[in-house]
Amino acid sequence: MHPGIYDTVLDWIPQGAHVLDLGTGDGAFLQRLVQTNKVSGEGVEQDAALVSRCVERGLVVHQGDIANGLDQYGQHAFDYVLLLGTFQELVSPSDIVREAFRVGRQVIIAYSNFAYLGVRLQMLLKGRTPVTQSLPLPWYRTHNLHFLSILDFRDFCRDIDVNEIRCATFNARGPVRYLPNLRAEESVCLLQSP
Amino acid sequence: MTKHIQREEGDLQDQKVAGYQSALGVTHTQIVSLPGIRTQSGHEFAHVDVSYQTLGKLSPARDNAILICHALSGTAHVAGFNSKIDKPGWWDYHVGPGKAIDTDKFFVVCSNVLGGCDGTTGPTSQNPATGKPYGMAFPAVTIRDMVAVQSRLLEHLGVKQLFAVTGGSMGGMQALVWAVERPDQVRVCVPIATCTSHSAMQIAFNEIGRCAILTDPNWNTGNYTDTCRPEHGLAVARMVGHVTYLSEFSMTHKFGRNRQSATEEMFSVESYLHHQGQSFVKRFDPNSYLYITKALDDFDLFAGQPAAEVLSKVQSRFLVVSFESDWLYPPSQSRELVRQLKRTSVPVTYINLETEYGHDSFLINNPPFANVVRHYLDNEYRRA
Repeated sequence: MHPGIYDTVLDWIPQGAHVLDLGTGDGAFLQRLVQTNKVSGEGVEQDAALVSRCVERGLVVHQGDIANGLDQYGQHAFDYVLLLGTFQELVSPSDIVREAFRVGRQVIIAYSNFAYLGVRLQMLLKGRTPVTQSLPLPWYRTHNLHFLSILDFRDFCRDIDVNEIRCATFNARGPVRYLPNLRAEESVCLLQSP
Repeated sequence: MTKHIQREEGDLQDQKVAGYQSALGVTHTQIVSLPGIRTQSGHEFAHVDVSYQTLGKLSPARDNAILICHALSGTAHVAGFNSKIDKPGWWDYHVGPGKAIDTDKFFVVCSNVLGGCDGTTGPTSQNPATGKPYGMAFPAVTIRDMVAVQSRLLEHLGVKQLFAVTGGSMGGMQALVWAVERPDQVRVCVPIATCTSHSAMQIAFNEIGRCAILTDPNWNTGNYTDTCRPEHGLAVARMVGHVTYLSEFSMTHKFGRNRQSATEEMFSVESYLHHQGQSFVKRFDPNSYLYITKALDDFDLFAGQPAAEVLSKVQSRFLVVSFESDWLYPPSQSRELVRQLKRTSVPVTYINLETEYGHDSFLINNPPFANVVRHYLDNEYRRA
C-alpha cells in the first residue's frame, strides 16, 4: 500500500481507540498505531510466521482466517475495524463488511483502483492483465480475487447500505484530488453504517 | 552447550542419552512435606509430600515466577541434567538460560502432580491409616486438586504472585484452572495443546490404556508388589498413548516400513513402541496412570456453568498455542477456548503452528514454538 494510506489512517483514528486490524501481516502498521496513537488493539493474520512476527512486536494477535474469525468478537467490541490491502482477497466482501460493522463501529478499507489510467492503458495497449506498483503480481500469483474501481466501490457501499464518510486517494506521486477514478492507484475510506 | 540428540525430533521424556549436556548443568529435585488439602472428592490429606524443582532466582520484587505444569507422564524434573538417573529434564529444550523460558530472567517452579509417582503424594505413598501403600485406596484426584497442591508449594516458596503459568496437554489444563480459580495470582497464562474438557475420543484412548492395566493379571485390584507389577498392561497403555502423541507424518518420517535390519522381523515402529513401553514401566506407577488419566477425563473447566461466567473472573492475559498436526488435542479445541476467552474480552494471542510432529510438538526441539513463547513472555514481562 502507498505510505500515504497508512498516514491517512493514523490521522483518522483518534488516540486511545480500540482497533481490530484484519490481515495484519507482520504487525508493523498495528505497532505504529499502538505507539503513535496509543490505541489498544489486536490483529488477525492467517500466516503463522507473520503471527510470530506480531508476537515479537508484543501485539495481541489471532491466527485465523478473516472469514471464520469474526464471530468470536462481541457486538461493537471495537471502535474501528481495518481492512487495509486485504479487501480484494476476500471471497465474500459484502459478508465480511457486514460482520465488520457488527464487531466495530466504523470500518476503514483500503484497496487498489483497477480503473487507474496506467491499468487501463496496459490493458488497452498491451492486451495483457496489468501489473502495476499497487497490483504488483501477475494474474497467476496474485491473491486478489476482485478487481474493482473507485466508482465500483461506491456502488458497493450503496448496495450494502453503508456511508463513505471520508476518502483519500493516492498515486505514486502523492494524494490525488482531481479525477481519482482515473488518476489514483489506491484508495482508502472510512465507512459508517447509517 | 547443548549437545544435539541424534533422534532430533524426539522428546526427552524417556531418553537416556549418554553424555547429554544441559545448558543448566546438573539439577536436582527435592521433596517437601506441606500442609494437606481437602480433595474435591472429600478426602482430607493431613499433609502432602511434593516433589519439585526450582531454577533461576526469584527477583527482589518477587514478580518473575513461572509455574510449569507437567503433562500426564511428566515429572518435577523439568530441565537440567539429573545425574542420578542419567536423564535431562522433560522440557530441557525449552527451559534454561536464553531459552523459551529463560532461567536467567525467570524463577521457574515445576512440581510433580498430586496422584503422581515421582515423589509427590500418590498411590505409591504410604497410607497413614494402614501403614501400607495406598494403591487403589488413594482418593480420586482432579486437576483442581493438583492445582491446590501447587498453590501450597508456592506458599511454601514465598511466591504470592505468578508472572506466568504454563504447560502442555494436562499441564495446560492446570494452567487454565490457575487463571480461573486464582485470577489475582496469575498475570500471564500460556496453555499449550490443551482443551477445556476431553472429547469422547480423548476419553476413549485413555480408557484403552486403563483397560490394559486393569486386565493385567498382575494388577491384582491395585495391590501389586514391587516384584510383580502389571508391567505389560502399563506398557501397552504407554504404547497406545505414544501413537496418539505422534502424527502420520512423524511416523512415516521416523519409521516408514523400516526394520532395524533385513533379518529383523519387527518393524522399527514396533521396536520403538516396545522400547517406549519398557522404559516407561520402569519409572511410572500403574495405579498412578489410572488416577491421572481419570483426572484428565473428568476435567471440565466450566463444570456445567456458562463459559462466559467462569471466564469473567479471569485477569490474566493469554497466549494459546496449538499444533496443526496434533490430532489428540486438535487445534479446534484451542480455537474454541480462544473464542470463549475473546467473548469475555480476555486479551488473548493465538497461534497454531505448522509443526508436523503431532501432540509431541511442544516437547521436541521446536524453534518456531520456542521463539513465540520466548518473545511473548519477554514482552509481557516488560509490559508490567
